[in-house]
Amino acid sequence: MTDNPDPEAPPPIGRTWNRLYSFVIAFLIFQIALFFIFTKAFE
Amino acid sequence: MRTLDWIVMGGFLAFVVVYGVWRGRRNRNLDGFLLADRDMRWWTIGLAIMATQASAITFLSTPGQAYADGMRFIQFYFGLPIAMVVLSITAVPIYHRLKVYTAYEYLEGRFDLKTRSLAAFLFLIQRGLACGLTIYAPALIISILLGWNLYVMNLVIGILVITYTASGGSKAVNHTHFVQMIIILGGMLAAFVVMVSLLPRDVSLIDATYVAGKMGRLNAIDFSFDINNRYNFWSGLIGGFFLALSYFGTDQSQVGRYLTGKSVAQSRLGLLLNGIVKVPMQFFILFIGAILFAFYQFVAPPLFFNDVEASKIRASAQAPRYEALEREHMEAFEEKQATVRELVTARRAGDDATIVVASTKLIAAQENTARIKTEAVELIREVNPRAETNDSNLVFLTFVLNYLPAGLVGLVMAAVLSASMSSTSAELNALASTTIVDVYQRRFKPTASDRHYVIVSKLATVFWGGFAIMFAQYATRLGSLIEAVNILGSLFYGTILGIFLVAFYVKSVGGTATFFAALIAEAVVILCFAFTGISFLWYNVIGCLVVVLAALFIQRFVARPPTRPGVDSRQ
Repeated sequence: MTDNPDPEAPPPIGRTWNRLYSFVIAFLIFQIALFFIFTKAFE
Repeated sequence: MRTLDWIVMGGFLAFVVVYGVWRGRRNRNLDGFLLADRDMRWWTIGLAIMATQASAITFLSTPGQAYADGMRFIQFYFGLPIAMVVLSITAVPIYHRLKVYTAYEYLEGRFDLKTRSLAAFLFLIQRGLACGLTIYAPALIISILLGWNLYVMNLVIGILVITYTASGGSKAVNHTHFVQMIIILGGMLAAFVVMVSLLPRDVSLIDATYVAGKMGRLNAIDFSFDINNRYNFWSGLIGGFFLALSYFGTDQSQVGRYLTGKSVAQSRLGLLLNGIVKVPMQFFILFIGAILFAFYQFVAPPLFFNDVEASKIRASAQAPRYEALEREHMEAFEEKQATVRELVTARRAGDDATIVVASTKLIAAQENTARIKTEAVELIREVNPRAETNDSNLVFLTFVLNYLPAGLVGLVMAAVLSASMSSTSAELNALASTTIVDVYQRRFKPTASDRHYVIVSKLATVFWGGFAIMFAQYATRLGSLIEAVNILGSLFYGTILGIFLVAFYVKSVGGTATFFAALIAEAVVILCFAFTGISFLWYNVIGCLVVVLAALFIQRFVARPPTRPGVDSRQ
């Protein structure tokens, strides 16, 4: 089994790279929001 | 440590060494030894990246950090996922296309030999010293708690790592990382479960979390901007972004992990996996420290966690004063515990008025405890001026040794040593790669057989392992170990990142301008460290910006660089 060497080839999961990148950033924002609520809730 | 603990720990360590040697047994050429034949899948790469960054210091010092200072350290990691995305878009395709062995190799094509050599030199200094700290930190903690000889510990950890890294190269490093990461997370989870189960019967995890929060240990987010404040949202997002960009994009110990990817896609996914998992993982480790703090509100902690120093003072003429402080500490604990229970009861009853009163009393009680501890520390210093008085690194392992059942102690000790070995092995592999590819092959022996380079790479691994062990034997009085490592990294990362940013994005600037800009930036960073109170995370930003701006300025006075087809990132 060989992988596609083309850097623009779609990722094996998540259909497009932009979608994957957006997911990582959105997940970070979600975590920060969660931590903020966590901090306030137990302050 | 009981017999079962020794069996678990010794068995796992032996397994790692044998497994590493076995996985790397077929290394015939440099590609295999340094880059695992570029055949790795994204999950192995992702776990290897995480295991490389997560040294034993992460697992020992981070809970201690939350215990002493709260969870605000989590903000340090906020820039990391963004850096993973940026690197996936920019650096990964470039490195793959050029089929480089090291990140610094790329700099010669883009700039010139002297800039490549400068970046490699900065890396070798910084990583060579950091590698010593990676061995030293857990050895110190374990030697204090278990009374094992520090020098022997440094030697044993170092030799075990050298054995499989020199024998198996990158394949051994990546594959052992996979099992090490699993045992590390398993060990931390086991410790957390036991910790929660040991809370008093009438105290739930929510109660403990509530107590930790009321006592300032759940301060995960702080949006206030202060350049001298070490950990806030802005320093973590901006400074942490630059640090992560530099560490993962230009530090060979990390670049070497994702260069082993079978394709651009596999390397990218490995980095993105790290971007997704890292922050929750660190949050969990910090949360363990916060809950440990709450645990010690119900169970009396020692006045000072470093029993070696405590024993020294008990044997000195100051023993009566120290024992008086211990009694005072116990009385303060009992008083504080009563207030904590009052707070927990009020929370359950929804009695806001009592919560306010109890919270105020608790803060005063905590200040009293802190005062007693400060007095104890001063007394310890009086008896032994060279005593290590920061005991936050010992908090977590003290709990493990005192409260975990037989077998689990061995598992956690295996996890700690695994973490130390995983980081060290990646560092040794990276140091060997840079030494051979950027120095030996480039400057001394450009044409030799693959077999020759593999043998010299193994020798370089052994040399750097020896260097790290020697540095570990001399590293003392470093305060919080995780901070020491990050401060050391921040002294160099900004400059190295600046060099790479110019390389990737500022086509009009050539090698000579970048080289001198890097020297200026390094001097500025060292001056900031020596003469200002600026928080270390900002060194990454300062070093990077000085390189970029100074390079643009100097370029006005030197000849423009020729275009280099195939090297520029945008071609």
